[in-house]
Amino acid sequence: MVAQILPLAGFSLPLPVLILLIGGVISPFVGLIAVRSGTRLREAWSFGVTAAALYAVYNLYQQVQAAAGNVLIVSSWGQNPPLSGCFEVDTLGVFMAGSITFLGFLVSIYSTSYMERESRLTEFYTLVLFLLAGLVGVTMAGDFFTLFIFWELMSISSYVLVAFLKQNWGPLEAGFKYLIMSATASAFLLLSMAFLYGMTGNLNFATFAVTFMNTPMTQWMKLLFSVLLIGFGVKAAIFPLHTWLPDAHPEAPSPVSALLSGVVIETGLYALTRVLYLIFDPSFFKLPIAVLALLTMSIANISALYQKDVKRLLAFSSIAQVGYMLVGLAAGTAYGVMGLLLHVFNHSLMKGVAFLSAGSLIHHADTRDIDELRGIGRTMPLTAFSLLVAVLGLGGVPPMNGFVSKVILFNSAMDSGMAWLTVAGVLNSALSMGYYLIVMRSLLATPKESHGLHEAPLPMLGVTMFMAALIILFGFYPQPVIQIANQAAIGLVENVSAYIQAVFSLV
Amino acid sequence: MNGLFMTPLLASVFFLFAIGLASLMINRDMVRLLIGVEILFNAANLGFITLASYVTGFVDPLPQSIVMMAIVLDGAVIAVGLVIVLNVYRHYGTLDIRKLRRLKW
Repeated sequence: MVAQILPLAGFSLPLPVLILLIGGVISPFVGLIAVRSGTRLREAWSFGVTAAALYAVYNLYQQVQAAAGNVLIVSSWGQNPPLSGCFEVDTLGVFMAGSITFLGFLVSIYSTSYMERESRLTEFYTLVLFLLAGLVGVTMAGDFFTLFIFWELMSISSYVLVAFLKQNWGPLEAGFKYLIMSATASAFLLLSMAFLYGMTGNLNFATFAVTFMNTPMTQWMKLLFSVLLIGFGVKAAIFPLHTWLPDAHPEAPSPVSALLSGVVIETGLYALTRVLYLIFDPSFFKLPIAVLALLTMSIANISALYQKDVKRLLAFSSIAQVGYMLVGLAAGTAYGVMGLLLHVFNHSLMKGVAFLSAGSLIHHADTRDIDELRGIGRTMPLTAFSLLVAVLGLGGVPPMNGFVSKVILFNSAMDSGMAWLTVAGVLNSALSMGYYLIVMRSLLATPKESHGLHEAPLPMLGVTMFMAALIILFGFYPQPVIQIANQAAIGLVENVSAYIQAVFSLV
Repeated sequence: MNGLFMTPLLASVFFLFAIGLASLMINRDMVRLLIGVEILFNAANLGFITLASYVTGFVDPLPQSIVMMAIVLDGAVIAVGLVIVLNVYRHYGTLDIRKLRRLKW
């Protein structure tokens, strides 16, 4: 434990968060040297930092496995948990942190060649590192205060990244809309923190679990539930609050779109899942979440049908996938949460590769219109192949990993007696193929005139092909991921006492 | 205080929240939208302090430090918002939010 946590003037952080934060702080200076010397030091720095963070998460996973009750406590101010801000790293947190840093690592490789033509690269890499630091911090936070700080770090970095290409009008409009909606949600989150503090006198997650174990559902609890749902729901793009997403995700630079769609909305969903399971009884939130799941996926799938812009279409598909994930939350069982986590991991791969390879196509063809991209598969066969794999996986076609997690999700809804939700989910999956097939047709069609082969540069091509290979691999052999996801879900849903024990044993 | 001012303070929290949300819905000026967000944050902060003062005995320093931190974070969000507003003004020559219609819903 000591090796992984660097004490810094009585202040300690989990190593992945620390690496990303310090990497982000040093990044501007590295950028200064890179500009002076004309080398590609910035790219190398962000590659090194994300690789180190990925390795640190792996190390942390092994430590969590070895720790008692699979929970590792890092008290940030030298005081023990229930009294002060702390990090509580369990299998769930490590699982999320793993998929975040993995996608962050791949995106940092991809950006080296995608962002080449842009200016202000120092700001770009610094913001990406801070975004990743915020995301990893949210997944490891042990109390609501720590979660809120890292939540805001993640939000502020993502506002700037969405509006990064400020010479165009699109990113500015999308960025402003995103900022207003998301900042309002943050205010709601702060209000829910106030309620929780008033009810428990503390903000530690374990204290919530102890205090709310057998409380009756008063009006205050219902108010708390709705405030929490608004607070996290905007980031997670749940149905009535999703309207910023189809603007913000397509307008961001493609590597950022991949991060936003692949991990940021999932982190919102993660926080919602964790807080709901710690505070409420599943029987209370099952029905409202099930209705929201149904609405989210249906509305998103129908809206996606008439999109002309390929990135906008993928953004609507992200909202639909959030709907599928909510099915697992609505099931209210460890099996459902396992499906949710598995789908989070699979979706980070599928949507990551979809946005990255669509980015490669757009980078080459300089248009986002699906009809104008017609026949691009002949020019860039390998990139088009990886987009094809991603789109098939998003639609849930058997050999891809999306199929496995969707089966688990819909099964879990069936098991908890909500057959209507299963039927709706399967029908929505079928409907979603409607627009995925439009993308596929456009990729595979014969072009009007032939342009010859012109593949994407090697870093971009390598990343997309690698991720496409992983999608197929985890479709055939999902056991390792299922095992970790299962452990994480059981730790959250059925074995909360171990979590509470680990926190309170330190007092 | 022991809850003496609890009801009026909580009422004003909800009133401020309503004002903030209403100003987000009604205003057309982008700077005023940001002021609406500011009001929402301040309402939440006030709620925090109100609920924290309910505890008898010595007061827990946690809510105070959280509110301080929240004010700082709020300032950072507003700063980013103002930067976007500035860039929008350079593009459009207006701060009217209704003119920002080029993105389809």
